Amino acid sequence: MNLIYTSDQQELIDAADSFFAGEHTVEYMRNLLESDASDDTQTLWNNFAELGLLGLVAPEENSGLAQDFSVMAGIAEMAGNVALTEPLIEIAGISVPVLAQMGATDELNAVISGDLKVLPVCGLSGMVSHADTADMFLIGEGGKARLLDKSDVTLTPLKSIDPLRKLYKVSHAGDGLEAIDQRGAILNASFLCGLSKRMVTLSVDYAKDREQFGKQIGSFQAIKHQLANVHTQIEFTRPIVQLAATQNGRCVHQAKVSSIDTAMLAAETAIQVHGGMGYTFEVSLHMFMKRAWALCGEWGDRNHHINILETMILADDAELGPGTTFSY
Amino acid sequence: MDAVFSDSQNQFRQEVRDWLSANVPGERLPSLDTQKGFDLHRAWEKKLHAGNWGMVTWPEEFGGRGCSLTDWLIFEEEYYRADAPLRVSQNGIFLLGPTIMEYGTDEQKERFLKPMAAGDEIWAQAWSEPGAGSDMAAIRSKAVRDGDEYVISGQKIWSSRAVFADWCFGLFRTDPESSRHHGLSKILVPLDSPGLTVRPIAQLDGDPGFAELFFDEVRVPVSNLLGPENGGWGVAMATAGFERGLLLRSPARFQAAAARLVKLYKQNANRLSSGIKEQVLQAWGDTERFTAATYALVAQVDSGASISSEASANKIFWSEMDRTMHRTAMTIMGMHAELEEGDGAIENGRWLDGYMFSLAGPIYAGTNEIQRNILAERVLGLPRQ
Repeated sequence: MNLIYTSDQQELIDAADSFFAGEHTVEYMRNLLESDASDDTQTLWNNFAELGLLGLVAPEENSGLAQDFSVMAGIAEMAGNVALTEPLIEIAGISVPVLAQMGATDELNAVISGDLKVLPVCGLSGMVSHADTADMFLIGEGGKARLLDKSDVTLTPLKSIDPLRKLYKVSHAGDGLEAIDQRGAILNASFLCGLSKRMVTLSVDYAKDREQFGKQIGSFQAIKHQLANVHTQIEFTRPIVQLAATQNGRCVHQAKVSSIDTAMLAAETAIQVHGGMGYTFEVSLHMFMKRAWALCGEWGDRNHHINILETMILADDAELGPGTTFSY
Repeated sequence: MDAVFSDSQNQFRQEVRDWLSANVPGERLPSLDTQKGFDLHRAWEKKLHAGNWGMVTWPEEFGGRGCSLTDWLIFEEEYYRADAPLRVSQNGIFLLGPTIMEYGTDEQKERFLKPMAAGDEIWAQAWSEPGAGSDMAAIRSKAVRDGDEYVISGQKIWSSRAVFADWCFGLFRTDPESSRHHGLSKILVPLDSPGLTVRPIAQLDGDPGFAELFFDEVRVPVSNLLGPENGGWGVAMATAGFERGLLLRSPARFQAAAARLVKLYKQNANRLSSGIKEQVLQAWGDTERFTAATYALVAQVDSGASISSEASANKIFWSEMDRTMHRTAMTIMGMHAELEEGDGAIENGRWLDGYMFSLAGPIYAGTNEIQRNILAERVLGLPRQ
């Protein structure tokens, strides 16, 4: 029992954190909003391959780093912290391990080297961001993972409130697969933690900068306590997400529900702290807030996961109480 | 990162389970805030100590087993699973004991830790004063050096267990010229000292769970000073850190309550409104979050990190979780919620007791408003007022 990252694992997560923070800046995102910027996107993707991020959890014989899935979850939080636009987490965290399980070696190798994009499709929604950039899709059907070529599906553009999500409905989404959907839910929860954390950071920065009544507004308890509430919720969401990434089971659903509640609270608090400025397109907050709204419903929305929890917790033979957290 | 107990941890769990199932009293003991209940709880502490289960994390020389904090969480899980009695010695074993180990002299360790572990000396706290609650640095009670003694005068309040306990530990102003958190010292005082009057205060339930202490030139030897003279604030913060954080509230007690809540819900499900179900799931889920977070925190501490301001988030989370969980139980019980015992009372009023106690959680050990200030200023870096 050791519910923290080893120093090697933490180094990988920290390295990804610095890379994201250095490259995927607010300016980079603004540039994406205003132009096509596909060259920049391609450069970023090549860097992901070079840094080994695409093969993080892939087996060593496929030139992967063979890391635990929990490390991927840690990196997903860092990706959330910058509201990463590119579908790195979906491909490296969901498609790669499933391709490895399927024994789809050619596709796996090509994905890891950055030459092929295989996007996983959530069986519950069939909605995929950046689907237009995918070469192949990964679906669950009849209890098995299946690869579809892009020519096998039709993409219908959808309009998300998040301007950086290029969202499509994929015509053939399958009926889902635990190996895909569980990973999706866990990484999504971790990404939401990162978004929540960033929204607190942005709010703290703003509250230290903005003055009213001759004082920084961050010195007022009315502001402090709201941000302390969000901080507390984040600190008590991250560990259950990490546990979910380590052992699966019913904590996956709890992790998703808690990360949704925390992200929605973070977004509402952040805009309140930002006041009128938070309601503008000019201030960066909206990019993180809208991503949070969008991701809350992905990989099983709150209703979906609460309903599963209900079945598990209220069952007659449910094992509850002290000592049951790590077995079920 | 891994979430699997080792073979030796599983073996330890089994050992705890076996001992508790053979020794935990069949009936719940009376409230420890009555003389009878206090005596029975003290007897239980002695029994725990005799089995070498009093405080498993303490070194063997002081009556412990030298266990890791993870083992302690396992012990607590089995303890609450067995519904064993509350720990009447908690002020000593969870708060003062670790502080003595960190700051005490060898003589103090020898003198105080063993009787504390054995249940022979039960400790009360003496921090707050009528004019120093959340603002603890406003302490005015003074301890004046007179040769080899301190002469203590002043008043303390909200001293839990003081009515029946043997000793108290508190902060006193040893430098008369000082102000705020400077010039305070942590001093240990026998509650039967001449000049010390203990006035019981009835709590919400009517029992004298805490007291007011009046010090009228109470003399104690200077060897009762814990840590540096005039450096008591730092010593007290160490104790407060233990209290807010890890030791006082392990997840197991809340997990046991959440399991009882699910049971209560199921027994009453056919007459409840639909919204209650999600509140029950929320209560269970929050205890799971608290458990995962505590295991993560323990792993950090075991790896050498120290907890300070982060403990404030812990205190906010468990205290508000506990209150919400008990409120949900009160809502489920509905018209039966007010019944303390007898016909129609559910679990002999246990949820009612728990609800009252849960209302104290966000107040004691530093109010949650103070904890939020600490988080905002020391963790998030917002400007001081």
